This record gives sequence, structure tokens and C-alpha cells, in this order.
Amino acid sequence: MVALARKTLIYEWRRFLPAMLAVGFAGLLQLLQLALVLGIFGSTSVYITGSSADVWVGYPGTQNVGSGRTINPDVESRVLMDPAVQRVEPYIWVDGDWRGPHETGGISVFVSGIDPSPEGLMFSKALLPSLRERLAEPDAVIVDRSVLDQLGVNIGETATINGHQVTVVGISSGLRALGGVNVLTSLSTARELDGDPTDVGPTYLVAKLRDPKQADAVAARLRGDTAFGPYTTWSARDFARISVRYWMFDTGAGAGVLFLAGIVFLVGAVITSQTLIAAVNGSMREYATLNALGVGVAALRRVVLEQAFWVGALGLLGAGVLGIVLMLLAHSQDVPVVLNVPAALACIALVMGLAAVSGLAAMRSLRRADPASLLR
Amino acid sequence: MTHPATASQPTTPPALQAIGISKAFVSGKLHTQVLENFSLRIEAGELTLISGPSGCGKSTLLAILSGLQKVDGGRVLALGSELGQLDLRALERFRLQHTGFVFQGFNLFPALSAFEQVELPLNHMGLSRDEARARARRSLEEVGMAPRMKLRPSELSGGEKQRVAIARALAKEPELLFADEPTSALDAANGQMIIDILHRIAHAHGTTVLCVSHDPRVVVHADRVLAMEDGRILSDRRTHAPTNDSKGT
Repeated sequence: MVALARKTLIYEWRRFLPAMLAVGFAGLLQLLQLALVLGIFGSTSVYITGSSADVWVGYPGTQNVGSGRTINPDVESRVLMDPAVQRVEPYIWVDGDWRGPHETGGISVFVSGIDPSPEGLMFSKALLPSLRERLAEPDAVIVDRSVLDQLGVNIGETATINGHQVTVVGISSGLRALGGVNVLTSLSTARELDGDPTDVGPTYLVAKLRDPKQADAVAARLRGDTAFGPYTTWSARDFARISVRYWMFDTGAGAGVLFLAGIVFLVGAVITSQTLIAAVNGSMREYATLNALGVGVAALRRVVLEQAFWVGALGLLGAGVLGIVLMLLAHSQDVPVVLNVPAALACIALVMGLAAVSGLAAMRSLRRADPASLLR
Repeated sequence: MTHPATASQPTTPPALQAIGISKAFVSGKLHTQVLENFSLRIEAGELTLISGPSGCGKSTLLAILSGLQKVDGGRVLALGSELGQLDLRALERFRLQHTGFVFQGFNLFPALSAFEQVELPLNHMGLSRDEARARARRSLEEVGMAPRMKLRPSELSGGEKQRVAIARALAKEPELLFADEPTSALDAANGQMIIDILHRIAHAHGTTVLCVSHDPRVVVHADRVLAMEDGRILSDRRTHAPTNDSKGT
């Protein structure tokens, strides 16, 4: 079989280039937007994904990590009673007002009070043990590299949170927060920073299981007991998902992604279909001749669709290469970008769908390939 | 109004026959009757030439006899099939099996080599890959293009392109070959070569070649010349074309 579609694409690549660029940039735009949104909103669950806890215990109805309420500290013993649980530790969340040594004004910070011991679960994936150790000192805090300028501090300097003096003992990375700044400290320091005298218990209890695969089952088992006041449980994966979903949809960012996807699809499809239509028109007499010779319209349509497919595939390839380069660049600049398999697949589907729609549009113009017109 | 072909009636059935056909084109409020109650027989295995001034209806007649255009009235028989009764698919199939076309513009795909141009339609005829390639090669050899079959249209002269276009039509081994002004874009030498090839195809393969042209050089080689004007046949004469097959390569 003579590969008409591919040979034409290679020989007349200049003609198809605009379509490939349109497809490529549409894909790239969508990919980067998704990666950024996932990165930014993924950071809202960094408390969960950066820790090695399998089960989270918190106040019922909590929609994201930052909006927890205190629970009864006695729940800890209830959780420990479960034979599947290996370790439980409290996690305290305090909303604070940061006053730095330099003129920065008040900055809203999210104080995470964690267990600084080496076997501590919270932020075990984000903090090196040596760094974590330093939190054991009273009033010691760790801040993220990305917010040093914002906080106006450097390592060794002091600032106040809720009027209480703290000292920066370390700098972490990858702990960006949304709508505020993460500050890590020990559980005892966090309790002192909390100005609300009614907060007696921890905001969360996090548990490590002997078998992490049982997270869902254990979370379900621990739920529904009201003897220690209101609390509920989630597997870490579920809680992270709830948290990200809350930010995605309650902030309108999810709608933004979908909206841009629609725009990208529309613009990409318009450019791509116009280019493909021009390519079909350029070969109209040849197509008409083939039809005169008895090659069916269906076969000619397949040629156009195949060209659309290759335009999509090549555009995608370009977008992929450029996308990886840009993602690496973003990573090096502490820009939160994350790309997972479903998001990448969604981008591929969008781009190939765009190419397919354009191919179908171009196919319609084949109707003008009337062989009788060659005889006039 | 009618001017049926007055050539001697042969015993074999005609390859093409138009019986009382009419065709009009409507463009806005303008109604142009191109053919009206027109009848014609084209005999098999001959090079028949239709000549006449532009607008006389000869191209329309070619489009109708080749099944590219429907008639408003009357019947068209091609190889015994009534074209008016075939739907679009069946017409495509009929053309695929039985007809070849050569157009004034060569209409070759810029991206394909001469060999691929010829092979492409054969792929759709259900031939095996080897058979299609063998036919394509044979056909290109017949028009003297075998040495240049790897070249793309941009590397070929006008005459060479038309020979590739003829090879593309010829490789299908059609019973009917339609040519529309095949020489008008070519210089004298190349035009002559194309005429020789068409003539030889009619005689060597028994192909019915129907050619529309106002090129006087074609007239000499045609077995039969029909002069058309205003949708009517003005004259219908048989020439005694040279019987020896002049070598066109």
C-alpha cells in the first residue's frame, strides 16, 4: 500500500507545520496548566503526602488539612488499641501571625506542630532527620526556602508568631503552602503558640500501620466511635484527595482548568482544521483524479484522517519534549509543578481529540473533490 | 435535433452508448442546455476523438459517458451496464474496475514517485502487493518511463508527467480509457508522443479510448473523429489511421 498520507506529510511538511505547532502548543499549554494546578493544589496536601502516616484522625467534616478542629486527646489511646496500628502521634495546626525582624508586615502562617523525634511520622519525607532533630529545641522553627524573602528572615534569626518569639533553626524545601506560609515546629512549641485556651487536644492524630495496605479498612474500623467526642478517620490517600479536591473545586480553579481546556481545544481545532483543509484543498485535483479512477471517497477520507492523526501525534511529541524541559526548569525554580499519569493521559486525549475533530472537519472539504470538475 | 452516429454499424455491441440523453446546467437564473436528446455509439478497441470549440459540450459528454456525471434524461450504457441505475458506490466500483482517465492537468501527487503514482490506485483494486507492483512497472515500461520511475513530479517534464498519468490509467488494464485534452499542455514533440501512446493502447490492448481534444495532431491518429458544436455532432468520419504502431518512446 502506498502510504500517501505519510509521504505527503513528510514531503509537504511546511504545509502541515502550522497544524503541528497548533496541536503542540495546545497540548503544551494544557499540560503546563494542569501541572501547575496540580502542583499548587498538590501542595495543599503536602502535610499528608510528605508524611508517612497511613491513617489520619480528625474532626468530622474537615474539608482540607488547614481547616481542622481539635479533637479529644484521649482518642489516641483508642487508636492505639487497634492491633493494626504501629505508632500514633499528634499533629497540631495553629494559624499564626508572623512578625519578622525586618519590615515585612504581618504574614499569616500555618504552624505545624510535629513530633521532632527521628521516628516521627509528620513530614518524614520532607525533612531530613538532622533538620528535624533541631526542632527539639524550645521555640525552634523551620521555614521553607521559597518563603525566606517573604518572611524576611534567615537561619538563626528570630521572629514572633502570635506574639511569641521563635528562632529559625533550619530551612526546608518543597513545603510551600497555599494562602499562607508553612512553619514547622515541635508539638510543645505549637501548643505555646496557640492563643486559644479552649484548644486542649491535637488537631489531628496520625497513625502508622503495620501493613499500610490496610489503611482503608483500619480507617473504617476506627470510625463511628463517639465515646471520646466527635472525630472521624480517613486513609491518608483519601484525605489527600479530599483536600486537593476542596481546593480545586471550592476555589474555582478546577473550573478554570476546564475552561482553559475548552478554549485550548477550540483554538487548536480551528487552526488545525484550517491547515488540514488547506492541505486537502491543495491536493483536491489529485484526490478527484483518484476518485475518477474509482478510489472510493471512504478511502480518501481515511487518508485525511490519517494525516490528522500524524499531525496530532507529532504535535504531541513536540509538546512532550518541550513540556519536560519546561517542567525541569520549573522544578529548578521551585515552581510547584506536578504531572501524574491521569493528567498526562487527559492531555493526550485532548490533543488527539482536537486532531480528530480537525480531521473530520477537513474530511468534509473532500466533498468538493468531484472528478467531473476536472473536465471543465 | 438528433444526430446519431452514422458510422457503419458493426456486429459487436458498442463499448459506450448514449441513447437520447439530455443535460442542462443551471447557474443562478441561467439555464444552459448542453445536450438534448443526444445519441451516440462508441465502438470497442478504437481511438475515438471528439473535437470542437470550447463550450460545445464535448467535456460534458465525456463526463457523462465515463460515469462522472449524471444525465437529466436518457440512458447511458457502458460495457452493457446502465450507468444511470448505479448508485455512487456502484459507480465508483464500476470506474475502479473498468475505466482509466487522463486529464489535461496531470494531477499527480507531489509527494509520490512516478512508480507510487501508478501503484496507488492498484492498491484499491484488491490486487496483491506483488501483482500491483508488477503491473505498475509494466505500465511505466510501456510508456517509456521505467528509467525515471523513482522520480517525483517536480523532477519530471510535462510530457513525462502525462506519460506517468497515462501509465496510472493504463495499469488498471481498463476496457475504457477517457482522455480530456491530454496534449494541450504539452509541446509538439511531447504531444505527439502522448497521441502515439493512446493510439497504441487502443490497438494493442483493445481498449476503447475516448479522447476529447481540439489538437489537430490527434485527428490524424484517431480511428474516428466526431466534430461537435452546440451539443450536436456535426460530422462523424472514420480515418484510416496508420496501422503500424509507431514507437512513442
